[in-house]
Amino acid sequence: MEKILEVKDLQLSFHTFAGEVKAIRGVNFDLLKGETLAIVGESGSGKSVTTKAIMRLLPESSSEFKSGEILFNGKDLTKLTDKEMQKIRGKDISMIFQDPMTSLNPTMTIGRQITEPLLKHQKVGKTEAKKIAVDLLRMVGMPKPELRIKQYPHQFSGGQRQRIVIAIALACNPQILIADEPTTALDVTIQAQILELMKDLQKKIDTSIIFITHDLGVVANVADRVAVMYGGRIVEMGTVDEIFYNPQHPYTWGLLSSMPSLDTAEEKLYAIPGTPPDLLDPPKGDAFALRSEYALAIDMEQAPPVFQVSDTHFASTWLLHPDAPKVEPPLSIIERMKKFPGSRYYEGVRTNG
Amino acid sequence: MAEKLLEIKNLKQYFNQGKANEVRAVDDISFDIYRGETLGLVGESGCGKSTTGRSIIRLYDATAGEVKFNGVSVHGKKSKSDLKIFNRKMQMIFQDPYASLNPRMKVLDIIAEGLDIHGLTKSSKERKDRVHELLETVGLNKEHANRYPHEFSGGQRQRLGIARALAVEPEFIIADEPISALDVSIQAQVVNLLKELQEEKGLTYLFIAHDLSMVKYISDRIGVMYFGKLVELAPAEELYNNPLHPYTQSLLSAIPLPDPNYERTRVRKSYDPTSHNYEDGEEIAMREVTPGHFVFCSAREFESLKLTSAARV
Repeated sequence: MEKILEVKDLQLSFHTFAGEVKAIRGVNFDLLKGETLAIVGESGSGKSVTTKAIMRLLPESSSEFKSGEILFNGKDLTKLTDKEMQKIRGKDISMIFQDPMTSLNPTMTIGRQITEPLLKHQKVGKTEAKKIAVDLLRMVGMPKPELRIKQYPHQFSGGQRQRIVIAIALACNPQILIADEPTTALDVTIQAQILELMKDLQKKIDTSIIFITHDLGVVANVADRVAVMYGGRIVEMGTVDEIFYNPQHPYTWGLLSSMPSLDTAEEKLYAIPGTPPDLLDPPKGDAFALRSEYALAIDMEQAPPVFQVSDTHFASTWLLHPDAPKVEPPLSIIERMKKFPGSRYYEGVRTNG
Repeated sequence: MAEKLLEIKNLKQYFNQGKANEVRAVDDISFDIYRGETLGLVGESGCGKSTTGRSIIRLYDATAGEVKFNGVSVHGKKSKSDLKIFNRKMQMIFQDPYASLNPRMKVLDIIAEGLDIHGLTKSSKERKDRVHELLETVGLNKEHANRYPHEFSGGQRQRLGIARALAVEPEFIIADEPISALDVSIQAQVVNLLKELQEEKGLTYLFIAHDLSMVKYISDRIGVMYFGKLVELAPAEELYNNPLHPYTQSLLSAIPLPDPNYERTRVRKSYDPTSHNYEDGEEIAMREVTPGHFVFCSAREFESLKLTSAARV
């Protein structure tokens, strides 16, 4: 598969009154053509900052690229000037934001907002742009697009607004679409519609999607590959099946266990104890060690390297070191692992009858 | 069956009544809440679930209908002292932990506000001790009392909201989307806290949410609302295993689960309100299909639902 975006050892800090916040501390990943990569993690784990760094949307005055590069079509995005970046933003890489209520301009008709990137990036006239806008609205499932194009954002519901935001993002057929919690503010039924829409459109125009969310149900639904972020690093990365059925990092175990599933009725829900690390003064070992019951002595001293589990599966935890003691993951995780060929708890295919 | 703590009868809450833009936010709903249970209320935004909660606690004056708490009507004329007694018994936890705490008050005063209003503590030392005790109950510590809300994270703030609600020793708490604004791992902490407190203090909850998997986890019974109407009410397990109303079925089929194999095969049903084909004059009401399982349906649908449920057993 062709790599479309490469993020290499990215480190980024914010300068605040309290000191230097090391928001991203060495992030590596590739994005392949046509795939959906989900990034999960709690607030403050650096998932939004990573994507904003790719889009160069962080304030220049307070943020600083410490090291690393973001390669897109052979160009390092961290080194581009504002002018050069403006040619990429909205054309080759576009973004859908979390809150459809605030990401549209309330004083402009939605027709003008959809045609804006077209007029800027593509050589089309106003009438042509309008025609494309109507088509785009029809594509995202908006009824009566010819009429609605003259309306303002307040005349639409939340789900409709998110469709409009998607239409704007797709206007120039971007190669990469970054969706930052696009369905978090929406109801489950509307969320289901938007997710289906995004998957359909992805098939049609073959974009790659980076999907940020903290809802693991949504991840299971949309993702091809998953990156789990914690404390400014990717702690585990793999295909969606590897992450859900053969997770290796204790933080991934914790995340998966804290979601109630519809069929289990356990007395108490698993809650990851403690709070996320303070990135003003990040822990020197494994950032998750202080909250983890599986932490080893070395976790406090030295950050774990990345261990390879399979060709596509990587995790950064000392538990995978050959000398580490064999620990039993939580019961609910073992239940998951039983379904995955290649995990040590795999039970094989049960024959029916 | 357990004792009824709250009876809601034909509750209606209309806004802009009589005008062209009349909104029937809650349209004639009836249900009971039993002592010590958790009743979950789910539905999409705008279906009237929050309005129902707010009408029950008298943040809105109901347009019509009756809410009885321990057999006494909540709405209707009340003297100030009666109202005070009632307010102590029923408390609310709000959705947004950022907007529901006064940023200019210290935690001590936020939590003690209810104590002051009801004159529950005699000296300032007693007041302070009580606040410290409440902070420890919700998993914070007493040093937090002298801080301001902005010094806390979202999950901690929601704990403050819970401590404030508990201060006046209520019997019944309405939790209006208490976890929607929180991270997954923090959600589990808050839900566990609510469950522990319920066991300890024998509280009764009305838990309003749109996250269906969490609602199922915390609730004993669940009500599903659609456009101001209650369309189905059943024990939590029963509702998930055997949803009868087509809207409930569509709602359940829309939940993504953290299981890729399930997600690849999940088929979403959509709900079309016209599919019922109700005729004019047909009476549509809550009917009990199996014991404890109520569905909003017509007499005709009721018969067929009864048949299919009987066949299932």
